[in-house]
Amino acid sequence: MTKSRTPVLIVLAVVLAALIIIFILGLSPERIAKPADAMETPVAGGPAPNETKTVTLFFLREDDGLFLPEERKIPVAGSIAREAESVLLELIKGSTNGLPSALPPETKILQVFLTKDGTAYADFSKDLAAAHPSGADAETSTVYVIVDSLAYNFKTIKKVVILIDGEERETLNGHITLDRALVPNYTLIAKTP
Amino acid sequence: MLNMKRIGKAARAALGVLLVVGFFTVAMVAADQRTIVIDPGHGGLDVGAKGKFGSVEKDVDLAISLKLKALLEQNLSYRVVLTRDKDVDASLENRAAVANNNDAALFISVHANGSFRKKARGSETFFLSLNATDEESRRLAYLENASPDLEKRIVEDDKDLIKMILWDMAQAAYIKQSGRLAELIQQELNALLGTENRGIKQADFKVLRGVACPAVLVEAAFISNPEEEQSLIDEAFQAKVAEAIYRGVAAFLKLYRQD
Repeated sequence: MTKSRTPVLIVLAVVLAALIIIFILGLSPERIAKPADAMETPVAGGPAPNETKTVTLFFLREDDGLFLPEERKIPVAGSIAREAESVLLELIKGSTNGLPSALPPETKILQVFLTKDGTAYADFSKDLAAAHPSGADAETSTVYVIVDSLAYNFKTIKKVVILIDGEERETLNGHITLDRALVPNYTLIAKTP
Repeated sequence: MLNMKRIGKAARAALGVLLVVGFFTVAMVAADQRTIVIDPGHGGLDVGAKGKFGSVEKDVDLAISLKLKALLEQNLSYRVVLTRDKDVDASLENRAAVANNNDAALFISVHANGSFRKKARGSETFFLSLNATDEESRRLAYLENASPDLEKRIVEDDKDLIKMILWDMAQAAYIKQSGRLAELIQQELNALLGTENRGIKQADFKVLRGVACPAVLVEAAFISNPEEEQSLIDEAFQAKVAEAIYRGVAAFLKLYRQD
């Protein structure tokens, strides 16, 4: 009896192991995030190394504070969330034309993730608020440079939630409401260079 | 004797009439003793924007607000309440609550601006813009559908939710008047201050959202601009800002209230 059971047990063990592996892979955040992105970048086997794409960043015009575009090349990541993170990193690095950036250089990006309804969650270290100069003008610049830069470069991003240290915040420093998703405000982009 | 009695009667009647008239006058004045709430920006740990010479926005906001309070009390029959009258923290929701709990006629938030740009300068007046996200539209649609005989048709369980929605949307009903108030204040700022006119603007400012009366936020000048920082800490300039806001308020009350 014990001899005839062994093959059955082995088959069961293999099936069980396979199920566990599928279960673990299925639950990993990578897998959850990917399907939405995969639709946009149907590159078989992922992007080629060193492949770049051009994105538009917004910095502030000294005279009136309207947003002036600057182009940058970022690595193609095969995931909108990763590329959105690159855009935000470039904003923190600052302008190559000496224009003021609306993101303090101390700011770190903790993570960026997307949901299916086109909401991007951009999670920053508390420096975004702590190293911020405060004031309604500065706050408006920061909030809408983030929202506009993300929505302008990625069609799938319709609105943006700004998080600080993983949490929703009432405002950055007392002005613009942050406890909801923000839609882009393209009227802040300069119409002439 | 008869004559004296008649005079006495007439005097008593006159006194009675005077008392009645007096009583109604007092009652009317009391009823008109409505409240204006002034909200000095920031405070406590939240210093607001900072100037190159070390001045901080919270102090400027309070100084202008105190001058404005005095002007309003001297010249209008309104009670004035400040959301903070010293250097303390105050949450944005509590500031709106001060207005609503006092059944305020007007809410005026007083600020100084700050920018990433060294050149930024000038004065502007804000009123609320409603950020038209899906969530917002959904809430508005819900309110519109629910508004006729609201109380009757809504089950007990939904009442807290509706209160929350109403709180968040309180300012929506006053946007038009808030815009007019902003316009009138901005005109006076332009006339009195000699600063650059940045006009009236709409923004989704948290502090204005829950206020259930006409509400504006005044940005007197840029503390981040060294020249304007010097103006903002100058008592004479602060008095001019207060005078401009007072004139705008007086013009608004003349338009919208008959007292």
